[in-house]
Amino acid sequence: MTKADTRRFFVLGTLLCTVAFIVLTVDSHRTVVAREHSRALGDDVRRGLRVWGVYNCENCHTLLGEGSYYAPDLTQIVAQRGVPYLQAFLADPSAFYSEEEHRRLMPTLGLSAQEIDDAIAFLGWVGGIDTLGWPPRPIRVSGMPTRLPGTETASAASDPVTQGRQVFDATGCGACHSLEPGVMLVGPSLAGIARRAEERVQDAAYTGSAQDAEGYLRESIFEPSAFLAPPAGKHGTADGLSYMPGIYTNTLDPQAADELVAYLLTLQ
Amino acid sequence: MTFETQRIAYFYFLAAVLLFALQVVFGLLSLAKYLGPDPLLGVMHFATTKAVHTNLLLVWCLTGFMGAAYYMVPDESRTEIYSPKLAYLQLGLWLTIGVVTIVGYLFGITEGRKLLEMPFPLKLGVVVVMGMFLFNILMTIRKANRWTTTEAVLIGGLASAALLFIPALLHFDNYTLDRYYRWWVVHLWVEGVWMLILAAMLAFLLIRLSGADREVMEKWLYVIVGLTFISGILGTGHHYYWIGVPRYWLFAGGFFSALEPLALFAMAVYAYNMLRRSGVSHPNTVALHWTIGSAVFSAIGGGILGFAHTWPQVNQWTHGTHITTMHGHMAFFGAYAMINLAIITYALPGCTGRSDENAQSRLGIWAFWLMVSGMFGMTMALAAAGITQTYLERILGFGYLETQRMIQVHYLMWLTTGVIFATGVGAFVWNFARAGLPVRTVAESAASGPSAAARVGAV
Repeated sequence: MTKADTRRFFVLGTLLCTVAFIVLTVDSHRTVVAREHSRALGDDVRRGLRVWGVYNCENCHTLLGEGSYYAPDLTQIVAQRGVPYLQAFLADPSAFYSEEEHRRLMPTLGLSAQEIDDAIAFLGWVGGIDTLGWPPRPIRVSGMPTRLPGTETASAASDPVTQGRQVFDATGCGACHSLEPGVMLVGPSLAGIARRAEERVQDAAYTGSAQDAEGYLRESIFEPSAFLAPPAGKHGTADGLSYMPGIYTNTLDPQAADELVAYLLTLQ
Repeated sequence: MTFETQRIAYFYFLAAVLLFALQVVFGLLSLAKYLGPDPLLGVMHFATTKAVHTNLLLVWCLTGFMGAAYYMVPDESRTEIYSPKLAYLQLGLWLTIGVVTIVGYLFGITEGRKLLEMPFPLKLGVVVVMGMFLFNILMTIRKANRWTTTEAVLIGGLASAALLFIPALLHFDNYTLDRYYRWWVVHLWVEGVWMLILAAMLAFLLIRLSGADREVMEKWLYVIVGLTFISGILGTGHHYYWIGVPRYWLFAGGFFSALEPLALFAMAVYAYNMLRRSGVSHPNTVALHWTIGSAVFSAIGGGILGFAHTWPQVNQWTHGTHITTMHGHMAFFGAYAMINLAIITYALPGCTGRSDENAQSRLGIWAFWLMVSGMFGMTMALAAAGITQTYLERILGFGYLETQRMIQVHYLMWLTTGVIFATGVGAFVWNFARAGLPVRTVAESAASGPSAAARVGAV
């Protein structure tokens, strides 16, 4: 093998790979631009990307797993937390997390209301990108594991309570609700929720329309803003909107909802 | 040092060394914040210190590369630099842009695309500087009408780096495309054209330090850069797995990036063989340490640790964890920091025109071992942090915040080893300062050992 041979290897190899790379790039670019999701990209998303850049978000956070590792990944954050919560959080992160307890805290960036809405629109849009199934399990900001993978048993598959627990995990309820008593993530702990639901419907301060514990849980899932349990400031906005996303009417089918409620009613 | 204008390199190296030290200061500052709480939260939070840390890395490495080119090109083409004035002007402009960028970050002025945060007008300034640099180098080669393969690979790498900076100037509203073209700069730099610069600098140093046969060296140099491009170009796909592009990138990225270690291992084997065959006949032992160190560290950091999480089936779990930090630190240090430190220590006695006492100093060797063991320890700490994080957060489903609290002990180890590394950097800076400023003429430096040996090796 002479120097001329190795030079040929270098030139040919580089040329072939460059051509292949350019062909794949043209195809990828065209595929991405033609997607319905890309065409649904609005002005708020466009502005939101600027906000994301100007406030240097990705030098702490990751998005689609890219960025820095000092703060949580935000790929699914809008689906996990909902818009009202994120609006309140971005206005003043220190109201939600403490540096002493969590060792680190997001600085208050002084975002305008418009910038906050744009950033959330942008993050919501990114959450809708087809990532080929990444992440394989949800990445959550906070909370304990709800269930270890591979420990599901097939024997009790027909039992609605067991099914309900699976709905709880699959829906990602644990991203905001702990099952440990007294642990407040974004929403209240669900330990003892069946008992509390029972008490609350009978409470004079209750203003919702549920008649019993089961109805109360259903109302909390499907119309989270119908009644904000005290202390309301902890779970909702000044406009009386709950932080809990109001999306479950569309995303939970009726059978899954029955099973979920059946499961929650076992949490005495 | 044979040519008067090679002294230009000294001033590039001086700037590079100072910026390196500053980079490490901001690294330690960022690292301390992992242990929290952060007293500087309202003044200079993590996003700022981290952006300064990574940007300084790019700036000082590029400064070193340009200095290396000003040192190597006269030697290879046997001529003086075309315009020393332009070279100094270029350095001044480059550093001004650098300082404005960093001060801007401290005041929150950023475009916020990781590693390319620099505001648009300053990016244009970078293009101008690169133009000045390439013009000066190409005119030098043209004037000499003589060039070697080693220098062609070096200049090819630097010119392609300038060309690939252009996608950094583009803006895309679609986040998928924004990511797609960002990697054209970042990946194709560090796993593509910068590798050419690394390979050329390595070849230059090996030829001079071992007196190895140039024909053989340059023959294998083509193999190395060939392997780099064959694996590295389509290997860009390992950044495309989850950003919303078609599925074929899982295969293309996985397959070709899995070949990337080949080029890095070829480089390590190449360095080892050359020294084994030709023996070590050079008095500059510190430069020799850095040269071999660079070949070995980039093979481990870039090759093994990169391979560890490049396959999509693994990457889906590790993507966005400290596994990346682990790989990034060792690979970048091994490949680009160490090769710069090698050329700096190699060129220093010649540039300053003083004897090579400095080049064999115990302090120089201490600097090497402190940095190497510090970086090795940091890599181990980050590996432990990354594996634990992947298991707890990604597989078991603990929250991010809970996981972070559980890996605090690894952050303590990261900090400890980081301090060891920083001590080594301090020793290096002190040793560099001890070498003193350059003396006036080549005649005065002609008597010094390394430059005489360099001439012998260059024949």
